[in-house]
Amino acid sequence: MRAAQAGDTDAYGQLLQELAPRLRRIVGLGRGFLAREDIEDLVQDVLLSVHAARATYDPARPFMPWVLAITRNRLADGARRYARGAAHEVAVEDLTVTFSQSQTNLNASSRDDDYGDPEGLHNAVQALPPGQRTAIELLKLRELSLKEAAAANGSSVGALKIATHRAMTALRKKLVKN
Amino acid sequence: MARDTNDLLRQLAADAAPVRRLPRPWVRTAAWLALALPYIALVVFLMSPRSDLAARMADPRFLIQELAALAVAIVAAAAAFGSVIPAYGRKWLVWLLVPFGFWLGSLGQGCLQEWIQFGSRSLSLGTDWSCFPGIVLAGAGPVITMAVMLRRGAPLTPMLTMALGGLAAGALGDFALRLVHHQDAGVMVLVSHVGAVVVLCGLAGGAGRSVLNWRSIAAGLHGAAL
Repeated sequence: MRAAQAGDTDAYGQLLQELAPRLRRIVGLGRGFLAREDIEDLVQDVLLSVHAARATYDPARPFMPWVLAITRNRLADGARRYARGAAHEVAVEDLTVTFSQSQTNLNASSRDDDYGDPEGLHNAVQALPPGQRTAIELLKLRELSLKEAAAANGSSVGALKIATHRAMTALRKKLVKN
Repeated sequence: MARDTNDLLRQLAADAAPVRRLPRPWVRTAAWLALALPYIALVVFLMSPRSDLAARMADPRFLIQELAALAVAIVAAAAAFGSVIPAYGRKWLVWLLVPFGFWLGSLGQGCLQEWIQFGSRSLSLGTDWSCFPGIVLAGAGPVITMAVMLRRGAPLTPMLTMALGGLAAGALGDFALRLVHHQDAGVMVLVSHVGAVVVLCGLAGGAGRSVLNWRSIAAGLHGAAL
């Protein structure tokens, strides 16, 4: 490192070549649960930091504690980065959304399997009391907002919410029973 | 993985331009003081030194408080410079407690003496908040100089490092302001002066991650692709 500080590129190249496998081993021991690419990313992070901080090395002091202090710091930074990323990421399944996929193209035979019994649902909605039926039609079938539905029906938002809740409970009971 | 590690090693080796080795923390502290003290002297000169300065210099309590503030500035600066050297050790943090405790102790003793002398009236001596911007102004130059110097080191503990830098600059600002302001009331000095130093320390610490980070050290000093 002393030679590297003086600008000896050959000595520095040799040092880095010897350092890289040791760092890989150290990072692997500390972060064994990571994938190989992630470990390699951390090793590269440490190497870049060693390079950036090489002016801070004092040849009168041992080299490896100096490297290990940088390694520990970069590993902690990596862990913080990982934790931040994990906190803001939501794991989702790879859902089929293209129209060419069979799951998105319903046919008569699959409809019943996927959506239960549409006719039964229709009958159950028709059997609801008028207030609840209107609430379901406006909010669930015509997909109006609560405010729009309240204006169209001439009732309050609160009354619509209650009617919808009761209607959904009644429908669930009836359909499960069927 | 952005690139192959062997490619990176070749690139780093090729980029190994000679670097100026970072001097020891105490040497850097001396260099910082050499830059900060003329600034402090200029601030004291522009704000006009207090008229009773000669008399105050003969007061042991005043001298102890000034020397303790100066000692806090020096040890905190050395601690800040030490914290940017990997594996330098953390013993300097214990060292810092000695002058800091001495500084607070000497100010606390002033409060106690006033309490004995004036009773509860000593509290009504109040706090002169005009000291606050004075300390921040006096500390601004040293803290900027400190930040520039710290960016040459490794940003291992950016918030702690900058907080120590802020403490050093704030203590130096307090040292300067005592040479300007006529206020010597213990409670006032304890609240507004120490408060201003703590605020400067907190602000500097809060800016730590923005001022000191691996990206800036690499881009600013060595031109590496970090």
